Formats: sequence, C-alpha cells, structure tokens
Amino acid sequence: MDKQNKFSRRRFITLSLVATGGMCLLSRCVNPPLSSWRFLTGQESVLLDALVEQIIPADEWPGGRDAGVTNFIDKQLVGPYTRYQESYRKGLHAIQETCKTKFQKQFENLSWEEQTQFLKKMEAGKMEGKAWKKGFDREFFELIRNHAMQGFYGSPRHGGNKNNVSYKMMALDYPVIIGQNRYKK
Amino acid sequence: MTINRIYKISLLSLAILIGIFIVSFGTFYTYWNTASADKTCASCHEIQNSVHSQAQSSHRNLKCNECHGTALSNGLHSMREKGMMVIKHMNIKSDENILISEEQLLEVLNNCKRCHSSEFADWSSGGHSIDYEHVFLNPKHNSTEQINFDCLRCHGMFFKGTVNDIVEPLNIKGPWKLKDITRATMPAIPCMACHQIHQDGSPHKRPDYSGPKSIFYQKQDTGFVVGFYDRHEKVHVPITQLPRLYLKEGERPVKIADDPIMRNCVQCHAPNAAHQAGTNDDRTPRGVHEGLSCTACHELHSNNSKNSCISCHPAISNCKLDVTKMNTSYADPKSPFNIHWVSCSDCHKGATKVKSELHRITNNLKMH
Repeated sequence: MDKQNKFSRRRFITLSLVATGGMCLLSRCVNPPLSSWRFLTGQESVLLDALVEQIIPADEWPGGRDAGVTNFIDKQLVGPYTRYQESYRKGLHAIQETCKTKFQKQFENLSWEEQTQFLKKMEAGKMEGKAWKKGFDREFFELIRNHAMQGFYGSPRHGGNKNNVSYKMMALDYPVIIGQNRYKK
Repeated sequence: MTINRIYKISLLSLAILIGIFIVSFGTFYTYWNTASADKTCASCHEIQNSVHSQAQSSHRNLKCNECHGTALSNGLHSMREKGMMVIKHMNIKSDENILISEEQLLEVLNNCKRCHSSEFADWSSGGHSIDYEHVFLNPKHNSTEQINFDCLRCHGMFFKGTVNDIVEPLNIKGPWKLKDITRATMPAIPCMACHQIHQDGSPHKRPDYSGPKSIFYQKQDTGFVVGFYDRHEKVHVPITQLPRLYLKEGERPVKIADDPIMRNCVQCHAPNAAHQAGTNDDRTPRGVHEGLSCTACHELHSNNSKNSCISCHPAISNCKLDVTKMNTSYADPKSPFNIHWVSCSDCHKGATKVKSELHRITNNLKMH
C-alpha cells in the first residue's frame, strides 16, 4: 500500500469525530429565515391584507383580513394553487408599482376611498401601464376576488374563515348539531 | 501485509465503527430528548405548528416526549415513521396539517393518566370509556339501526378509515364482527374526543390571596381545554366556538343553559334535524329542570349523576319526598320519571290545575 495514500488511524478517528459532531448539528435543519408566511413576503402579505379587506370589508363581522384570507391564499399557493404563484408575484408587484407612480404611496397606505377606486379600475380592466397589458388587471382582480371568497367562506382547515366567522355570520351552526335516529323501528 | 494483519485491522475498524455509532447515536439521542422543542421537534417544518400551539397551551411546561414518548420508547415504528416523513419532505410533499395516528393518540392517552390520574379513573368508570367492541357489536343497536359512516362522528372519531373498515357486515341482520379484532378493547371515545391538548391556555397557578377576584367566583378562567373533535375537518373546535343548541318542544322554544361545556355534550347527545326536544339522543333538561346544564348533575369525566339530586334538593324535600330514593329512570324515554324532562304534573296529579289557579290568583292580585 502506498504510504502517502494510507488512511491513517488518527485521520480515521478525527473524521469519525467530525461526522459525529455533524450528526448532532443536523438536528437543526437548514431552515430558511423564519417567516410566518409560506410563499408571500412580509410586504406582500401586508398588501394582500389590504386587498382582501377591500373585497370583504369588516362590518359588525370581521372582514377578509381578520378572517385570515391572506393566510388561506398563502397556504394554497404552496399547495393546490402553485400554478398561481407567478400571477400573485407579478400582480402584487404591479399594484405597488402603479401606486408608487400614481400616488407616491404603497397601496396599503392609500385612503379607503382611493383603494376602492383603484380596485374598481382594476376590475373594469382600465389600468394603465406595461404590467397590466392583455387584460391582466381584470384577470388578477378576479383571481384575488375568487380566492378571497374561497378563503372567507370555505372550511377553516384550508387556512381562512378564522373561528368559523363566515358560518357564524350566516347563522350556520358548525359543527351541525344533529343526533342519530335511535331505536326507531 | 499478512492476511492476519488485514484481519486484525478489519476487526479493529469494525469495533471502532460500532463504538462511534453507539457514541454518536447515544449523543444524538440524548441531545434530541433533552434539548428544547424549538431546536429539535420544530426542526421539522411539518411539526412546527404543533410545537408552537403547545407552547401557547396550558401544557406548555411539558416536553413533547413526556406525552408523545421518544423515538424509541414505542419500538422502532416511530423511527420508521420519521424516516418516511423525511422522504416525503425531500419530495416536497410535506403536509403542515400533520396528524398523529389513532394508535399514537392512544399511546398519548396512556400518558395523560400520569398527571390526571383522578380524571382518568373517573373516565374509566364511566360510559365514555366504552370500547370499539361494545359500540360496534351492540346487537340491539345494530339490529334496529343501520351502522353508517356517521357513527364515527362520536365513536372512533380518530380512526383513519371508514366504518366499512371497522365492522362487517353493514346490515341489520348480523352477526357482526370487527374486521380487526385487536381494535375490540380500544377506547372509542378517548380523552381527545373532548379535549384539545394543544389549545390556548395557561397552566394553573396559585391565586393571589390578597385579591379576592383571583380566588372566588370572579376568578377568570385561564382557558378551556374542552373542545369537540370534528372528525370531518380533523380539527378540534373549542367550546367557545361551538354553536349553542336551540331546541323546541312543539313550537315552544326550550330554555337552554348557557354553559359552554354543554355545547360540547350536545354535539353527540343531539336532537333530530328539526331540533325537537327529546328526539334522537337529546337529553336536554326540560320540565322542572329546564335551563339546567348537563354538568349541573353529571360529573364531568365519569358522567356519574348519582347523588346529584341532593346537591340542590334537601334529603327530605318540602313535599316530604326522599329525593335519594326517587325513581329517576331515564333509559326509557317514555318513563314519566325521566329526570331529563320530568314535570310537576308527572308526580303531582292535578298540579297543572293548581298551577293555573295560582296564576289566576297572582294576576288578580297584580290587577288590584
């Protein structure tokens, strides 16, 4: 055996110890920086909160934001709605860019009325700018509106409808109170 | 190099490798079971939610393994399961709504009794500790009502399959048998049917003796651990979120106690879809006991109600009846003595006439 290539006992033990230490460190998986969001960034979540609150505003019942609609969308975007990831990234960015150009503010910092007018224009497909070409304004508005409805009225297990808020609003008992037909013959 | 020397080196290497494995595994295992959950269990993204909810619960002072056991405490199947989780995770199929299996849940149940021995003993002596055999092989029930998927809403709610996987045949003729005989003695209504272990709450603490509000009736609840396990959604619904029962006796609305715990009871002890009092499994008090909660008479874990009458009624009542010897039969819904809806006139014949006469006199007095 070539002496230089010999795997010395000392080197073997050193490597083994390093491996042992490595195993201990493995317990902490190399996580991405801890964030409460799965797909959205912190800024995107603030914007989306404002958007869903516009679509389902709070009255005597909580609105889209407090019902956890943003959480629903975020959760679905890394699940069944992966296909919409690009639309959200592009659309949310376009909204902020348009707001900055037009109002020198971010969407969430606009007044309630300004936000409403902005979204009405989006819904009507009358947004200006390169990002909104080919009817993306109307398309993106519909996407958020549909997802907001799903998040608000759907099952809480999907991330929205926090504390069954929409069920309560509609006076729907959940879980339904209903017994079995006992001993009827 | 001689064969003998190669043999010796190989043997030594093997011994060293085994030694390193034992030391590294032991170190790792010890570390894993002693370090905080944030550094261990929560390393798995799938378990992060559970770790965080536990940290907000009244069980926050417990380590995960005190209830869930260690990776090896229940044999090697835990290791295999974790391995499968890693593989699933690597394939980007991770599930943040991760749930423990019914078998694992029952292992946790065995750990509940370490701290809650009294409650466990009460539960064991009561009807809610019923096992699969007695629920699903009851000839009286099965011959009068078709076993169906909805049975699992209140019995065997943590079972992953359907009722079809539990019992056969699914008809009213029988004879019925469990598909998996080992399930026979498994509890069908475990603690977690009514308790959400990770629910928001604070551990019990000693009161502030200088402030009566922290001792007496004004004491604030630190959080309910009661919650109904909704099999359909696979989540616990805290009692504060459960709907309040509305009930009618004919057209008359029945007064219902505003006891949050009762909202949990009526999820299973429920009336028919029209919410008519006394139908199906409804046991809501009416008659002289209308407005009382289930818990006014039933002990929470054993559900025992024996001697509960005497809590409100003196041993010899005003009408000279010994309440401890009264017939309070409830098994027969038609019994006139059914304690759930016994009325004055069931015992005192002509009481309705007396009552209406009293009303007439009172009204006359009011008019004058």
